[in-house]
Order: sequence, then structure tokens, then C-alpha cells
Amino acid sequence: METKTGEPLIQFGLLEEALNLARANSLWPMTFGLACCAIEMMAVGMARFDLARFGAEVFRPSPRQCDLMIVAGTISKKMAPAVVRLYEQMPAPKWVIAMGNCAISGGPFYYPTQYAIVPGADLIIPVDVYVPGCPPRPETLLEGILMLEEKITKRGRLRKFRDAKG
Amino acid sequence: MIELYGIEEKTYTLNLGPQHPSTHGVLRVLLEMEGEFISKAEPVIGYGHRGHEHMAENRNYQQFLPNMGRVDYLHALAYNQGYCMAVEKLLGLVVPERAEFIRVITAELNRITSHLLWFGAYLLDLGAFTPIMYAFDDREHILDLLDRITGSRLTYCFYRFGGVPVDLDDEFITGTRAFIQRLRSRWVDYDNLVTKNVIFINRARDVGLITKDQCVKYGITGPNLRGSGIPYDIRKSEPYSAYPLFDFEVPIGSKGDIFDRYMVRLQEMEQSCRIIEQALDKLPNGPIMAEKVPKRIKPPVGEVYQAVETARGEFGIYIVSQGDVKPYRVKLRVPSFANLSLFPELAVDTLVADLVAILGSVDVVIPEIDR
Amino acid sequence: MLKDNLTKALAPLGLEKVADGDYAKTGYHLEVAAQPDQMAGVAQAMLDAGCFLESFTAVDLMESFDLVYHFASFDELCRTAVHVPLGKRKGMPSISQIYPGADWYEREVFDLFGIHFFGHPNLKRILLPEDADFHPLLKDFGATQGND
Repeated sequence: METKTGEPLIQFGLLEEALNLARANSLWPMTFGLACCAIEMMAVGMARFDLARFGAEVFRPSPRQCDLMIVAGTISKKMAPAVVRLYEQMPAPKWVIAMGNCAISGGPFYYPTQYAIVPGADLIIPVDVYVPGCPPRPETLLEGILMLEEKITKRGRLRKFRDAKG
Repeated sequence: MIELYGIEEKTYTLNLGPQHPSTHGVLRVLLEMEGEFISKAEPVIGYGHRGHEHMAENRNYQQFLPNMGRVDYLHALAYNQGYCMAVEKLLGLVVPERAEFIRVITAELNRITSHLLWFGAYLLDLGAFTPIMYAFDDREHILDLLDRITGSRLTYCFYRFGGVPVDLDDEFITGTRAFIQRLRSRWVDYDNLVTKNVIFINRARDVGLITKDQCVKYGITGPNLRGSGIPYDIRKSEPYSAYPLFDFEVPIGSKGDIFDRYMVRLQEMEQSCRIIEQALDKLPNGPIMAEKVPKRIKPPVGEVYQAVETARGEFGIYIVSQGDVKPYRVKLRVPSFANLSLFPELAVDTLVADLVAILGSVDVVIPEIDR
Repeated sequence: MLKDNLTKALAPLGLEKVADGDYAKTGYHLEVAAQPDQMAGVAQAMLDAGCFLESFTAVDLMESFDLVYHFASFDELCRTAVHVPLGKRKGMPSISQIYPGADWYEREVFDLFGIHFFGHPNLKRILLPEDADFHPLLKDFGATQGND
């Protein structure tokens, strides 16, 4: 199972598939809300959009205990070293979702003489899934997390039904 | 102080880093502690600085409108309202009455969502997981209502110079009335769950006292000010929009501790419900946009300061225009900036747990401080 | 009337201008112009009258700065705008001993404009990173600096 940090030295075959299934179905996100998108991330964890049914409800504040970093909000130049440090503190295998237009490409704050932000999280850390929107609806973030699960397990939830609907 | 093998006592520096579980945004607090007690707390801000004021000088007036929803995204409609009113003052536009009513209804609904989110997130900081579920449930109903007419859930950009672009429909009006009935039945739940909760009362009574003198010296506004007993609410003291037509009270506290600020916010939600009901009853017919809104917004040379009451306090916008399509200078006076500058004084000689409780009760939103 | 009290309190300071503002157009009730060294006296008079510092900012007028203080009161509606012209490369006395809330506002003006405040207890950058070497809201900033 490959993450952005590279292929592991020892591969176990079927065991890896089982492990990937376990990892995908119990992602532990980190509470990393920077700006407005953080509120929609909180709303995903709440009763209406319920992230718990996909196993990703346990938001841990400490990066040492998580495997998913959802960059929700604009990364300012002052904050960028902290983002990189938090990413490095997470143990592998780890994934990153860039949530919101600001984390994808600077969003509404990108213009030629912008001095204060990093236009996109993928300039400083490797990103696995991009979730567009300003802010993205909670359903969009759920779709992003499901897409990440597909990426991890290389198989989707009820994929044949989803593809049929289009 | 015991001298143990020549060890001297020093203070211990603890960094409450820019990433921490409280959902206020990216705030860093440098704490110097003597044992468990804090001797000095210094907030470090700027981790969310996005350059709103610089953007204002690089865009024309219409292009700057979406920024206002992102300064304080929890009560975005009030910031929209302040900016639109400031430019309307510069241009001399008169907003029709129906549009003013629509602005008031949507802004008050947004105020309720902001206070509900504060209520849930604050109790989450204190360690309670149930109230945030209830608060977000109520909030989702309001967001559905506002989504119908504004198109957004969080960072609204709904008002235009001269009015509003979309009118309310019947489903919105019936939905809002039904929601207010439902919300009123929730106050009992919130009271039983939180207000009468012994743990909460012990953590909130007589903690984080803000005196009236501090309010004047630091420029504190909003529920923090009203919790200390000063009845200053811009909707009553400097009325704007359609607020003079409605009958509502300004809840105030007595001591200025966390519990008073909490009660003020809860009662403000009820007052907002009253305003919305009166506005829906008296909603006049008529146009929703002013008649002669110029296509190129080019205000004459001058300056204007407009203040509105948001969920956090007084939002003031100061625009200097030199006759161009782009503003010459826009200053956003945000309430959390002044409110947080009082925090070092409040934090002296408290425990870390109390520090988190005090910070949450001041209700700061960091992206608005950093702009 | 608070406006009359303020006008009387400001009279002995010998200020350049203390005039009524046009509230419907600008939102001010009282407009005051002062010199940088008179600002401490103005701030003290405002505090004694019970006003709070609503906002403080600067405007870059190419050849000089215009510092704008807004004061308002909790008891009675009366907004005062104080304009202080300041030359480029000049400093300004701080009013943070009188209004502790001005501490952060002055740090922000220093950060964004580079104006130095004498007597400020802790004048360092507040919004930009501490090692930044530019002041973004100066009018000649956009031409040279930018995004990378």
C-alpha cells in the first residue's frame, strides 16, 4: 500500500489488503481547522452529517495519534512552518485532505500582490484528496473522505451501484 | 521556598500552540507558569492573516463584498450589512423598507446560529459533548432556511449596495415561524442540561471577572460588555436599518463573570427570536433594491465610519474614498481584537483550566482578529 | 450633552480644529484635528469624559500619514474622530499608558505601516511574522513585493 511517503520495504499481500481495509474504515482525523472551513468540518462530525458512521469520528488533537490531516482553511505564511511540523509529527501511514479552495490553491485570497498566504497546501505537504468549495458542503467533505477510502483500499463502497447512478 | 541542592525556582514556559483543540481558530498563547498558576499569558496572533485590508485597496467595491463574509464567518451577514451600509452612506443610497426588513431577519437568524455555535463549542472546551450536538442540530435548521434564499451555509455574500438581490418566499416565512416555535421549546432543554448544571456553575461563577473600568480602557463591546452591566447595544444606542421599529430588550448581567456572559448570550437568542417574529409580522410589500444604483460604484471623496452590532460586539468599518472605483483605505474594526487584548490581564493568577474557560467565554474568532 | 462637554474639555489644549461632524454622511458627531504631541492630552480628556477607544488606524497619503482615532461612549451617542497628520519617517507618542487597549492597535499600525510609537511597552509585529521586512499597507508596497 503506497502512501506519499513511499512503498514499505516488506509487503505482506493479503494481510496488507486487510490492514488497508481496517485503516480506511477507521481514519482518525486531526482537529486542524484554520479558518471558515473548520466550521463545516465540525458540522460533518455532528448528528446530521455524522462522520461516525464511516469510522472517522475520533478527532484527536494530538498529531501523534492521527493518520488523517484535513487542512481546512487558508495557510498563512506565519502558519506554514507549523503545518509542516505537524505533518512530520504524524506517524506513517498518513494522508492529507486539502479542504476548501484556500487549501487547494489559495482560494479567494490569491491575487498577484498577495503577501500573506501560501497559495495551496500542496506547496508544503503532499496532498491526497482535494475537496473544493468555499466552504465545501459537509456532504462534499464526506465524499472526499470516501474517495480517500477508495484510494487506500483500491476498492469502493458499493462501487458498482455508485458507478451505475453516474 | 526551599533551596534544594542549590536549585533555584524558575517559571515554566508553556506554549498553547497555534493548533489546539479549542475551535477558536489559530491562536497561540505563551504562558509563564509558577506551578499550576499562570503569572503571564501573551497571545500571539497573526497565524490567520490573509490581508483583507490590502485586498480592499486592490479591488473595486463590488469585488470586496465576498471578503466581508470571510472576516467573521459565524455572523457573516452582519459584516455584509455594515459594509453595504457604509458604501450606501457614501453614495447617498436609500434602501427600501422591505429590503431593510429582509436584512434584519437574515442577520438575526445568523446571530442565533453564531450564539448556538458559541454555546456548543464553549461547552466542548469545558469537556461536555452533548450540548454541541443539540446546538448544531438547531443550527442546521437555520442553515437550511438561509440556504434557500442566500445560497450559502456559512460565508454569506447576500446583501448588495441598495438592497438585497433575492426576495423571501412563503416557504421561508412559514419555515422560520415553525423553527422559532421549535427553538423556544429548546430553552428548557438547554437550561436543564447546562444552566442548572452544578459543574458548569462551579466553573463559571466568579471566574473571569471583567470590570467596567476595564471595559472603557480596552474598548470591550458586545456580550462581554453587557455581562458586566453596561447596557450598550448599537442596535439600541445608535439604531440603524429597521431596528427602531422593533421592540426588544438588551439583556445585561451584574457581576461580569463567565456565567453572566453565558446568560446574556442565551437571552440574546430569545430577543433575536422576538425581533424576527415582529419583522415577519410587519413585513411590508415593495421593491427590494433601491432605484438608481449606479453600475460603476464610484463614491465621492470622503470618509465614513459605520458601526453595527454583531454577535461578538461592535464591528466598525472605516472607508476612505478618493473618488476612485477602488477604496483608498478600508479599516475593519473587529470586536474580537479589543476583546482579546484584555485577555492577558484576565489570565493572571488563574489555573490553566480556568484560562481555557475564560478564553472561550470572551468568544473570539481568530480570523477576524487577523483579518 | 457629551459633545458639549468634550468641546469644553478639548478647548484648553489649543487644537487646530474641533468641529461638528456631519453624522448622516460620515458617522461622526465631532471632528477633531490635533498635532502628534497634543494627542496625549486629547486621549486623557476623552478618558476623563468616559469615552472608549473605538478604533485606531492610519492612512497612507503618499507624502505623509494621517492617523485616525475614533472614540465613542457607552452612555451617550457621540462619536469623535481625531485626525493627526504625521510626516513620513516620524514617530508618534504612544497613548497606551492612558488607554491600555491602544497597545495592540499601535502594534498593528507599526506592523502594517512602519510608524514608530515612542513609549510603547512592547512594539513588535503582531500580524505578520516577526522576521518580515516589509510593511504591506504602504502605497508603494504592491509595486515591488508580491506573491512567490
